[in-house]
Amino acid sequence: MAMTDIKSILDMAIGREEEAFRFYADVADRMTNPAVKEIFGQLSQDELGHKTFLQAALKDDQIIAKLPVPADYKVAEATEEPALSIDMKPADALALAMKREQESAEFYRGLAQSASDATLGAMFENLALMELGHKTRLEHMFVDIGYPEVF
Amino acid sequence: MTNSIQELQDADLVFVIGSNMTEAHPIVSYYVKRAAKKGATVIVNDPRRTDLCRWASHYVQLASGSDIAYINGLINEIFKNGWADEEFLKEHTENPDEIRAWVQDYPVERASEICGVPVEQMKEIARLLGTSKSASVCYTLGITEHICGTDNVKTLANLQMVLGNLGKRSAGLNPLRGQNNVQGACDMGALPNVFHNYQSVTDPNAVAKMEQAWGVSGLSDRAGYKMPTMLRKARDGGTKILYCIGDNTVQSEPNIAHTIKELEALELFIVVDIFPNLTTPYAHVVFPDYSWGEEEGTFTNTERRVNRVRAALKAPGGARPSWWVLQELGKRLGFDLGFTSAKAVYEDMRRTATSYAGITYERLDVAGLQWPCPTLEHPGTRFLHKDGNFSRGKGLFSKTDWVPPAEVVDEEYPLVLSTGRRLWHYHTGTQTRNSVGLETLFPEELIEMNPADAEPLGIKSGDMVRATSRRGEVMLRAWVNERSNPGLCWMAFHFAEACGNQLTIDAFDPVTETAEYKVCAIRVEKVADAEVPMKGLCRQARP
Repeated sequence: MAMTDIKSILDMAIGREEEAFRFYADVADRMTNPAVKEIFGQLSQDELGHKTFLQAALKDDQIIAKLPVPADYKVAEATEEPALSIDMKPADALALAMKREQESAEFYRGLAQSASDATLGAMFENLALMELGHKTRLEHMFVDIGYPEVF
Repeated sequence: MTNSIQELQDADLVFVIGSNMTEAHPIVSYYVKRAAKKGATVIVNDPRRTDLCRWASHYVQLASGSDIAYINGLINEIFKNGWADEEFLKEHTENPDEIRAWVQDYPVERASEICGVPVEQMKEIARLLGTSKSASVCYTLGITEHICGTDNVKTLANLQMVLGNLGKRSAGLNPLRGQNNVQGACDMGALPNVFHNYQSVTDPNAVAKMEQAWGVSGLSDRAGYKMPTMLRKARDGGTKILYCIGDNTVQSEPNIAHTIKELEALELFIVVDIFPNLTTPYAHVVFPDYSWGEEEGTFTNTERRVNRVRAALKAPGGARPSWWVLQELGKRLGFDLGFTSAKAVYEDMRRTATSYAGITYERLDVAGLQWPCPTLEHPGTRFLHKDGNFSRGKGLFSKTDWVPPAEVVDEEYPLVLSTGRRLWHYHTGTQTRNSVGLETLFPEELIEMNPADAEPLGIKSGDMVRATSRRGEVMLRAWVNERSNPGLCWMAFHFAEACGNQLTIDAFDPVTETAEYKVCAIRVEKVADAEVPMKGLCRQARP
């Protein structure tokens, strides 16, 4: 029973990664700044990588539990979500992406809290940590370029 | 700095240009010396043989004001020999083919003619840069205090991008900011065109943000004047009031005689400082300030590290903190800022400055933190542009071409004067010349001259000489040595009675309006033979 439910959770998670891939690929096509186009293109490829990872988890769900626990600097939480536009700056593109990862982590954490089964709850929690890891990586990239000393 | 200070000790190569760091930035120089001890290649590039040369593996004595030709020549040679980081150029820069084409105008032979560095030495320096794993560039005012200062910096950025030396530990572009808190002053918006945290005053969103945060309306959305323009406009009534905090304007600006006329033209000149100096006689009002040892607050150093500062002494007499003086003025002008402490001022800034948002007094009680540090959970940022990422996306090469200095030598003024700092004194000496110990160690300014220039004039160390430019003259003693190129004289601006800025030219970089303190034309004449033994003075002049 547990495996069946875990499978459905992972299928849902894979679907979310596919949706994210399509979103970033679509946005990349529309961007005018080549650097931003490249960032969104890379983000779409990242989502495909996440999908592949989750597909592997269908065979061995313990690989998710083995992911390292990332640091949470809460940069996304402190950053206003930029409006999506064709002339976004690179830092805005990263801010948008880290906000989306924040929302994903919160989505899974919410499911973990409402899960009736401890095994399922743990899976949701692990998925939340996975998304948190993606958020932390993007936060590093954002902090690196998001505060230019321009005068 | 894109790197942290400590990272310098782990660089494979440190390229120091236009920086007398052992005297002007001694703490940073300590880490470069450590790098040298660990076997790093240290290349000092300067018209004057500075003390760091004792630690350097290579010394390049280039002509003052020739940096663009020299660096472009090196880049040309790097491309020619296949030493450029082609992967970095492809992945992280926007226009690599352009820089490749631009530097074709600077074959090493032509660059050598301009900068005076032998062709073979230029080739060797290019090889060292091109084959090192990590090279860190450090520069200071020898790069920026030219009419082409902005282009000088862009040329160094070009060099580091060609070499792929950005976004890596111990490999970056590192301007050593002056004094203890120039970085902090800029971060706080002590600039004409930005609020704190580099939020542009011409950006309507930033203006609206500040109006909301401060509960005001009608904030100006126009950039102000830079300092030279402020002063220049005093002559035509464009600047009526000048409020000056901790700046000895008369002594630190180029062409002192001209500066005095500008200050005299002001309707109201207010100075906030800790001691009387050359500027205070021209002020209508002088407010006594707290000194660094008497005030609370923070300083932010050149590696973006915010440090807590605590009062060690009680300020004398009627001295007050500069924030308090401003607040009291505000009250009398009808606006109470409502601050009760330096911490309250800091907190007001922090809530609208995202890169400082995570840096609180409580965290600073434990240790300094480097911005960006946007949240309380964030550990701060040691180096920037990791993995070759830039704020604009990819790095953009800029075309730069060598231009001669604003004033070149001629028959009447046959020598170049360059100015700078000495270890024993600080800026215009407002503080250090009130220190008996420092004044004893280095009690008077000396003009440094190469023997090739001094001997034909009958000048030997200790002789009293007159140095004259088109703007003024100073009398001081000569120190004849081989630190400078033939044709180059050198002095500092610490001493009011013999200040280099009596002679320097008020010609400015068009972007930053930084004056060309590093090059002007002078003549030197002997006035009298030495009366004081020179041996002691030489010892004191060397750190």
